[in-house]
Amino acid sequence: MFPTRLSFLRTLMRMLATENAQITRPVWEICGAGFGHAVYSLDLGGYTYSLVAVSTRLAPEDRTDRVIATAWDTAYVLYDGVPDVGEIARICDTAPKQEAARFTDRDLVLSRANKSVRLFTHVVECLRAGRQPDAAMVRDIGYLMRTTAVYGNGKFGIADRAVIDTRPGLSGPFMAEMLTVWLIRHFTHDLVEHVGQGRLDRALKRHLGIGNSTGLGMAPFLVNHPVLLNNWMMARETALARVRAVARLDPDQIARLCALATRAAQHLSEWQVPDAAHQRRIDGLRQDWAQVLGWVTPENMARDHAIDALVVWSQAQSEDVQELVVALVIEPFPELVDGLADCMADPLGPRGAPIADTGGVRAVLERDAAWALDVDYAAPEQCGQFWYVSAAKQEPRLGDRFAEPGAALESPLDIARRLKALHTDLPPVPEALDDFLTRHPDHLLAVTRARLAGPYPYGEIRDNLIARSCLPIDMLRCKLAFFGASKFDPKSDRWTRITLCQGAPLADELTPRADDWWLPVFGQ
Amino acid sequence: MNWSRAEIAALAGKAARGGGAPAAQAALFGQAVAVHLARARSGEEVAAALHALPGGPIVAFALDITRLEQARATAPEAVVELSAPASLLQSYFEAQGFVIHERPPPSGILHVGPDQSGSGARPPIGRIDAEGALIALMSDLAARTFVPDSDASRRAGAGAGLSDND
Repeated sequence: MFPTRLSFLRTLMRMLATENAQITRPVWEICGAGFGHAVYSLDLGGYTYSLVAVSTRLAPEDRTDRVIATAWDTAYVLYDGVPDVGEIARICDTAPKQEAARFTDRDLVLSRANKSVRLFTHVVECLRAGRQPDAAMVRDIGYLMRTTAVYGNGKFGIADRAVIDTRPGLSGPFMAEMLTVWLIRHFTHDLVEHVGQGRLDRALKRHLGIGNSTGLGMAPFLVNHPVLLNNWMMARETALARVRAVARLDPDQIARLCALATRAAQHLSEWQVPDAAHQRRIDGLRQDWAQVLGWVTPENMARDHAIDALVVWSQAQSEDVQELVVALVIEPFPELVDGLADCMADPLGPRGAPIADTGGVRAVLERDAAWALDVDYAAPEQCGQFWYVSAAKQEPRLGDRFAEPGAALESPLDIARRLKALHTDLPPVPEALDDFLTRHPDHLLAVTRARLAGPYPYGEIRDNLIARSCLPIDMLRCKLAFFGASKFDPKSDRWTRITLCQGAPLADELTPRADDWWLPVFGQ
Repeated sequence: MNWSRAEIAALAGKAARGGGAPAAQAALFGQAVAVHLARARSGEEVAAALHALPGGPIVAFALDITRLEQARATAPEAVVELSAPASLLQSYFEAQGFVIHERPPPSGILHVGPDQSGSGARPPIGRIDAEGALIALMSDLAARTFVPDSDASRRAGAGAGLSDND
């Protein structure tokens, strides 16, 4: 998947631009070497939020992106309001400790970030020498710092999401987290300019987003939040259906589509990753995209139902081309698409369809979960992996069932296997569901998922997540695309680096133009 | 020390799993405990439920929820009446968005039904003060769900190297 105008960062930026949000910096206590703390504040939806940024010395050998890290270059709290001196002192003491500390319900988001050692040092040295950093290096790395966790919703004592989920601006999914990331980006620019004693060229600065290392934790989130996943997908699919129904494009829309297709090609040419296998995939997409450019011409797009024809054509192409085409065709239609962002949260919680008896369960499974029923989950290749939580800082991990200990403590993410097991144990003659579950209490999870399948058709990842063939990286990329991430840089099949906010408006660029940064290209 | 609702729900859910509850029952228990403690109801009921595993209220109350949902399959306005129920059971229903009121006159009989307003009853927002002994009990049980760390697990489990610099 690729980011779209429905991605959460895009939605946030539109909101900030609509409100003409202004960032202030009431506190800047950073020494010449770049250590200390700073506070940034802005108003959104009638509330004031502040990012408290703490920068501390970190020995190079201690720098790691793993969840099990215990020290970082920088730590952050998104604070509800403007912190006073006492609150700033508290956060300066606790934020660097991250999971080892406790936080309060004025702390909305907790995060940390490490420097890109390559780029941060280079930019500082160049600015101190009175020159701009190497443009190619900025283009290829794309961030000064990299977050390794962005915690919300009550973790480690921070505020529950319910505290903010009815507030204008933060009611959408992960809005507080995205605001935090965008403010962190702002801080990294200020920090490098402060330490480098110079100003970055605006275009270079705009290209510098925030990196992120994303590991397995996102995968269990998707499995455990089927309503959210459904709502995200439903919004995207609805957007696609709306634009496919457009009978005829006007000249501005045609020009926009053609320009965006060209931009996508440029973006793909700038997307370079060290891993050879993934780079081959990107190269393949770049080559295939040339065919899309041949299709997306003023002549073709002037025909009736041009977008629908493009999407139909793309279905014979690679999955990457199909996904990028979907993102492309959604982009030029804010009036058809942007309102769907309001449908992507989950304010009410699951509302599964009630089922009276096991006959009803059987019918639902055979209608909505047939994809899960035809697999032999006892076969080693179908159950070769297991998800678990490590005692080491509760890091989510994926193990080899037949080579590693711990399968007895497997996390309940094997939804497909459970659905089939439920189907197998259903009695031939329908009986009351509570009687069945009295005898088979382990099947309640599968029954719950079956009840959700009808009302939330996109809520289930239709794959066997414990198969040897399962690649968690695909799940991570899905969620990250909804965040608005680009430049996926997989390091294995279990974690990836990405860039957020690359090309996003800077703090003084929140204008209507603010929304035109889909698939950013260097120097734009 | 106080806690967020999400923390308590997650901890209680893991504690139930660690005590032997099936996954869905554990999740329902976690949600109920967050409501229960947010309303300053008895932590002893929570501890008793955990001590009763692998049976007891954590399994039984999940069935009560199932029965109400089952009844609503054919009669959407179906309700249940509970005579002097445990407050933890009330918390279970509230956590699932059901509305509870006592039948007049003060009768000890609770009437549990779907939220007619359609807006979804929101659980209380606010910090939870839980007794240290209860937190310790839940933490000990939750720890049973964690796989002990090892060099091999640390190297391969999350896919990253031991140190990752850029």
